[in-house]
Amino acid sequence: MVGARERHGVRLLSRFEYHEPTSLAEAVALAARFGADGRFLAGGTDLLVQVQRGRVSPRHVIALHRVPGLSGIDVDGGIALGACVTHRAIEKTRAFAGPLRAIVEGAEVIGGHQVRNVATVGGNLVNASPAADLTPCLLALDARVSLLSLAGERELPLERFLVGPNATARHPDELLTRVRVPSLPPHAATAFLKAGRRKAMEISVVCVAVRLTLDASRMRCLEGRIALGAVAPITVRAHAAERALVDQPVGVETFARAAEAAREACAPIDDVRASAQFRRHLVGVLLRRALERCAERARAA
Amino acid sequence: MPRMAIALEVNGDLYEVFVEADRMLLDVLRTDLGLTGTKTNCLEAECGVCTVLVDGLAVNACLYLAVAAQGRAVTTIEGLARGGAVHPLQQAFIDSGAVQCGYCIPGTILAAKAYLDENPAPTEAEVREALAGNLCRCTGYQKIVDAVLSAAQRMATERIAS
Repeated sequence: MVGARERHGVRLLSRFEYHEPTSLAEAVALAARFGADGRFLAGGTDLLVQVQRGRVSPRHVIALHRVPGLSGIDVDGGIALGACVTHRAIEKTRAFAGPLRAIVEGAEVIGGHQVRNVATVGGNLVNASPAADLTPCLLALDARVSLLSLAGERELPLERFLVGPNATARHPDELLTRVRVPSLPPHAATAFLKAGRRKAMEISVVCVAVRLTLDASRMRCLEGRIALGAVAPITVRAHAAERALVDQPVGVETFARAAEAAREACAPIDDVRASAQFRRHLVGVLLRRALERCAERARAA
Repeated sequence: MPRMAIALEVNGDLYEVFVEADRMLLDVLRTDLGLTGTKTNCLEAECGVCTVLVDGLAVNACLYLAVAAQGRAVTTIEGLARGGAVHPLQQAFIDSGAVQCGYCIPGTILAAKAYLDENPAPTEAEVREALAGNLCRCTGYQKIVDAVLSAAQRMATERIAS
């Protein structure tokens, strides 16, 4: 089924050696030993596909499901997500149902239940697809990632962690342990929108995540965070569009100016899913809608 | 790496199998254990025909390492019937005419079971969303959705009765 494993009495050995550490210390020690020959395995929905297709060939796979301390969800104003938190676990977390809702909106559109039951936040970030759905939400929320190795722990802003298509600032001997998001400012709301050709089970043509902070009167925008997916080599912040929101009145003209700035700043490509021109158009549409939704949500709160 | 001896619990039965580390649960279920009710298709977690339950959660067995299933309870379609009687979901699929070629059905039934265990009284929209990971080329999904909703009602009635 998965290729012939026996021919003429000769057996094909496994493509990789499998390790199942039971502690963080053991996991990072293994990663230090194997370096670039090793890969961590969380849910497997990215890594195992790539192994099957021959795109990556780790000699050692370090499974994480028996390492304690990686599946916690802590909400205390801000959020801390363990790297092995699944997308389904995010969907089911009541605390995310309010102003932080974009996290759920980004998590729930990935694959189907079967994928989301095992696919993890950490795995998704390390895979660093330019079209990732949860990543723009985390980026718009000023997320920081924690990386653990034998040398200790370091924390990076997510924007610095994402380096290129399927490339991150993680060294081969580092384990992404946690994603942290600071608490929302007052009068802030979030939204996430995804555009594609069908209702489920697809990679985004364009996706947009927004965190909009209003002033106490809720008539003016104090600041915005805008993250765009599938329109650049990596998930990107739309800094010019964010600047177009600062100290502006909440309303159609402000949001249209921000949408225009985002359209100009993105660098989409033509591919099998859509043309660059259509993507650029969608960025403007989705951003306007996401900003409007944030304004409604901030005002309703 | 030579084969590893692992213990797998499938449908309540304990098996010892010798597998290479990179064997998928789907392949081990079908080839080593002879449980061919779980089907093979895309092999990349896109279609859902290989759906099994691991500790009650629906997963794609085609991208689940067999070695990672050690210590977990695996349920395949063969494990639904009890004492010779089919599960209400299986009966509902038969009664609703939801089975055409049949290939997507074991995976779909298991995905539906996992969802109903979580949400016993879903709306039609919720059922459709829960089955997004199970593709069917034959039925157009309507009778599948009808079957799940009718099974949900029957299972709720049985729960009240028991």
